[in-house]
Amino acid sequence: MVNSGTQGPPVLDIEDIEVFYGDAQALFGLSLNVQRGEVVTLVGSNGAGKTTTLRATAGLQRPTKGDIRFEGKSLMKIRPHERVELGITLVPEGRELWPQMNVKENLELGAFCGRARGHVAESLDRVFSLFPHLKDRCNQMAGSLSGGEQQMCAIGRALMSRPRLIMFDEPSLGLAPILVSQVFDTIHRLHSEEGLTVLLVEQNLTKALEIADRGYVIETGMIKTEGTSRQLLDDASIRSAYLGI
Amino acid sequence: MEEVVRLGISAVLLAGLYSVMAYGLGLIYGVLRIVNLAHAGVIMAAAYVTWLLHSRLGIDPYLAIPVILVVFFIFGVLLYKGVVRFLPRGAAGGVQSLLLLFGIWLVMRNGAYLLFSGNDRAIRTEYSTHSISIFGTSVAQSRVVVFVIAVLTLAALHLFLTRTYTGKAIRAVAQNPDSGTIVGVNVERFYALTFGIGTSLGGLAGLLLATIFAFNPTSGAVELLKSFVVVVLGGLGSVVGIALGALVLAFAESYAILILPSYLTAAVSFVLLVVVLVLRPGGLFGQRVLA
Ligand SMILES: Nc1ncnc2c1ncn2[C@@H]1O[C@H](COP(=O)(O)OP(=O)(O)OP(=O)(O)O)[C@@H](O)[C@H]1O
Ligand SMILES: [Mg+2]
Repeated sequence: MVNSGTQGPPVLDIEDIEVFYGDAQALFGLSLNVQRGEVVTLVGSNGAGKTTTLRATAGLQRPTKGDIRFEGKSLMKIRPHERVELGITLVPEGRELWPQMNVKENLELGAFCGRARGHVAESLDRVFSLFPHLKDRCNQMAGSLSGGEQQMCAIGRALMSRPRLIMFDEPSLGLAPILVSQVFDTIHRLHSEEGLTVLLVEQNLTKALEIADRGYVIETGMIKTEGTSRQLLDDASIRSAYLGI
Repeated sequence: MEEVVRLGISAVLLAGLYSVMAYGLGLIYGVLRIVNLAHAGVIMAAAYVTWLLHSRLGIDPYLAIPVILVVFFIFGVLLYKGVVRFLPRGAAGGVQSLLLLFGIWLVMRNGAYLLFSGNDRAIRTEYSTHSISIFGTSVAQSRVVVFVIAVLTLAALHLFLTRTYTGKAIRAVAQNPDSGTIVGVNVERFYALTFGIGTSLGGLAGLLLATIFAFNPTSGAVELLKSFVVVVLGGLGSVVGIALGALVLAFAESYAILILPSYLTAAVSFVLLVVVLVLRPGGLFGQRVLA
């Protein structure tokens, strides 16, 4: 779990961002960073601003203040659809597949960006070796998949873009316990076997800290606490607030 | 009996044309959630452009198809980039986009009055009066040609939407635009592209109409209503749904002639629309998502 970490700029460096929905402010000067090869988790209660943070990084929400840098380069001038070209991808909250397209089409479109388009066959093989079950579901409409299958498809779609940073938004939400473990296993494997850098939003703090190197606790749009997984697990206030112990 | 067959054949042939004009409207609605009232103006304008090309330059209407497709594609893209882009979408912004696109239609219609007067025009070629025999019934050749062109167009569109990366991306944007952005689709560009394709289909419908019917500046209004009915009947699920919707409308209209006094047949599409909206608000044949 120890990482070499600090050579070069962080893969993701969010600095003091503010995001509004209309008049309502969701993020109040939030900062966090993810080093190369790290798994970092962002935890917090409902409405704290976790999804907003990920969406701002993916380009789906525009910060009014602050900066987001990817591998040292500011994303503020990079258009939303161009960010995947740099190697950023998001597995969104609630999967957000294309329901009236089959699994294969969902996956193939995951490789839409120029950098990934030439490697569709290769990437598909990789996704199917990670999720053999998806292969049997190839021609099924994504909208008719079970929750667990949809999550695999969503992760598969994200991998099709050959990312360097993958962000997960509550990937275990609504899944049966056995599937929850599978999802965490997958994330762990992507990190340990393929060296992917991961930013993981979770409500399941115990599981998240098991696979994460570091974590941030977000509360009403600001980072309240940060530390290594060990430090957070030992923190009494966090234990009572998020683990109920 | 002979009459029934004759009406049936003419219904099928008409359904081809209905499908093309309805798909133009349905595609734009399916992707942008905007009811493009300017579709009526586009159909009318394309009829006049086809007529001009034929009467002034001697270009055969069928040979003018590529010109019409390109011209109206560009018109659609410009309309999107210049105006539609700034409108709120979906349920919340429905009224504003309706009003604005209705306004554009009015401008086009009045422009046509100024340029061409309100007189009926028709395109007459040397083969306009030819007819061929289908199942022993004599049918105007131009209607058959229109049908064939319509079917080819729909088949091409279907292949485009289901087989190409660009077509699949259009469907993806229709079903979930944010997920499109995440995988690298420039959603705004695909909105413009879709508006262009939908408008270009409207243009083709106008051209085809002009080869079989007379038209004037108010033409397009009835076609817009019929397109709407077909989309409601057939859903946005697929080209097949649209074709089925078009068949239902065309058959209902054709056979209404047998049982209704002629002044009532024009109301058939209205009645069909109301009945379907009340009984099966999801459409007769499936989804309201562009699949
Ligand atoms: N589309 C929106 N319009 C208006 N306000 C929004 C919108 N999306 C989120 N918000 C508000 O922004 C704040 C942060 O929301 P966000 O979705 O980022 O929270 P979250 O931490 O992901 O919560 P959850 O755990 O429930 O997913 C909340 O107060 C929420 O009500
Ligand atoms: Mg959330």
